[in-house]
Amino acid sequence: MTAATLSLAPAEQEVTSTDEVVAPDVPWVTIVWNDPVNLMTYVTWVFETYFGYARPKAEKLMMDVHVKGRAVVSNGPRESMERDAEALQGYGLWATFEKDS
Amino acid sequence: MARAFLREQDHYVGLLEPIERTVLLGLMQQTRLLLSPEIEPTGDAFDDLVASMGLSLSAADQQADPVSLGERDPALDRLLPTAHRGDDQIAAEFRRLTEEGLRQRKSGNLDIALGCVEEAVGNRVVLDESQAPAFLTALTDVRLLLGERMGMRTEEDAEALHAAMDDIDDDDPLGYAMAWYDFLTWLQETLTQALMGTDLRDVVAAYDDDLDDVLDDDALDDDENGTM
Repeated sequence: MTAATLSLAPAEQEVTSTDEVVAPDVPWVTIVWNDPVNLMTYVTWVFETYFGYARPKAEKLMMDVHVKGRAVVSNGPRESMERDAEALQGYGLWATFEKDS
Repeated sequence: MARAFLREQDHYVGLLEPIERTVLLGLMQQTRLLLSPEIEPTGDAFDDLVASMGLSLSAADQQADPVSLGERDPALDRLLPTAHRGDDQIAAEFRRLTEEGLRQRKSGNLDIALGCVEEAVGNRVVLDESQAPAFLTALTDVRLLLGERMGMRTEEDAEALHAAMDDIDDDDPLGYAMAWYDFLTWLQETLTQALMGTDLRDVVAAYDDDLDDVLDDDALDDDENGTM
């Protein structure tokens, strides 16, 4: 992905893009947002099935989504977060990724 | 009357009446149509992966096009939502790289689910270990489409829709759609619980104990169906 390669640029290299300069150590996050359709049990099942999270962690994240409206479900390099967001969207969850702030 | 999906040895079996199967097939086919990929799945996972990668190289897809995004069917935006809130460029690039693959994956799930319903014998819809997750995810996409068509985009929408059912005319199509939506919600819940061997009430109670002071109690009490 075009923008993602910028994060791999050596520090001394001049970077012309103004908005997507990402330090290599700044993690990105995958977020799942609350929605009125997805079932609480199903969301838990997705977290278990896709991430391999244990039941208590999957349930805690699901309840965070439900009660707080959103939850960070994974973090890491941008490429990994894009992969997670894509997979979770495949399951029908409203997943996004962004640079951790 | 339908019977919940239950585990029977290494299969998951639900009982669906002919009318229930007919409606379910129709809704799955509509969802399948909406999600149709440009390159149809071949049944070979590797070929499909290659095809999905190849497509993103076509010239028309190289540019982010905010106009075409704006013209999309809103239901498609729910099934294939924006993946970055706040940066349209990143969102468009993600969509360009992932949409065909997601369409193929979702269509593949729906094809499996359609096959399982079509092959029902004596009302028995039988799913093996690999079909059950596909069926479950297909049900999600069907409910997302149905929910979007009914205007169910927020928790408030969902509550208002359910409240409106009390006074709705018997022949109102919205009431009909809502009844089937609730049926599919129930059906999906039973299959999820069969797959997980879980009881949702225990989950809510445990979380309640942990976060008593943070919780808005109403947020949980209103949730008859256990939807998010």
